[in-house]
Amino acid sequence: MVLLRIYGTLRMMLGGRESVELPWREGDTVGALLARFQAGERIPVTHKLVDDRCMLHTGTIILLNRRNILHLDRLETPVRDGDVLALFPPGAGG
Amino acid sequence: MEERYARQRLFWGDERQRLIGESELLVAGVGGLGATVCQIMARAGVGRLLLVDDGAVALEDLHRQSLYGECDLGRKKVLVARERLQAINSTVEIVVREERIGCGFAVPGGVPLVADCLDNYEGRFALWDALPAGCRLVHGGVQGDRGQVLTLVKGESQPLNEIYAGSVQPAGAIEVSPYSVFVIAGLMCSELCHVIGGSAKLLDRFLVVDLVDLSLSFLDV
Repeated sequence: MVLLRIYGTLRMMLGGRESVELPWREGDTVGALLARFQAGERIPVTHKLVDDRCMLHTGTIILLNRRNILHLDRLETPVRDGDVLALFPPGAGG
Repeated sequence: MEERYARQRLFWGDERQRLIGESELLVAGVGGLGATVCQIMARAGVGRLLLVDDGAVALEDLHRQSLYGECDLGRKKVLVARERLQAINSTVEIVVREERIGCGFAVPGGVPLVADCLDNYEGRFALWDALPAGCRLVHGGVQGDRGQVLTLVKGESQPLNEIYAGSVQPAGAIEVSPYSVFVIAGLMCSELCHVIGGSAKLLDRFLVVDLVDLSLSFLDV
């Protein structure tokens, strides 16, 4: 399984759920997992993260096991069984 | 020890009070978060405060920036902040720099602890780059009814600009409630006092605060 942890506005969109467990599949990537996650949701969520051309948006950081996926292989980053993926839209102001 | 600290000494003891009194803190940005952070830390009896900001008080600041009032409109925030903080606690040494934190910013040598109260990623990344090895950064951010606090150690933790890689400043003014900055600033000061006491609670760990559903969550980095 892969644990998807959700924060901020995304959590509110998902009815307050703090996390979702997704079955892991051989060859999984961050992009594939997000697509599978979206397929299981009734409302559009991942458009907050990735646009129609599979480009990452900038308002939410995606961390795989504590590392921003922009420092890995972005949406092509391989995911292993037991990994933790976090979607966090930080507060930008001060 | 002074009578002014009697109530907090009952809470955290004389040793913590001594450490706070000997500590030095750079507050980067004295806007929403920074104005309250430096006020709380001055009241707590921090030894030396270095305030850095180039902004002037504007009407749109007054709903959340606790050191300023209508009589301060147009004045430099660091100068007003110094006046108010000295009136609150004259034993605190206060140094100000009217400077925008951006590329080329230099942290004065020997500063061991920094509160990131900035309102933009460019400044935050420049601040991180400028920190000397071993310097501890307590980062805060706020937007709407949400915010986060995180402690990092330069040279040991993941760099702030790697954690926030790809983050781009939202266009236009950032929405923020009047009370969320006080909540996040209060949590930052709690963490600052823990860091000074050698017991950081949020080292390499975000505390994510959501006032919409009144939740606190952790996110390790």
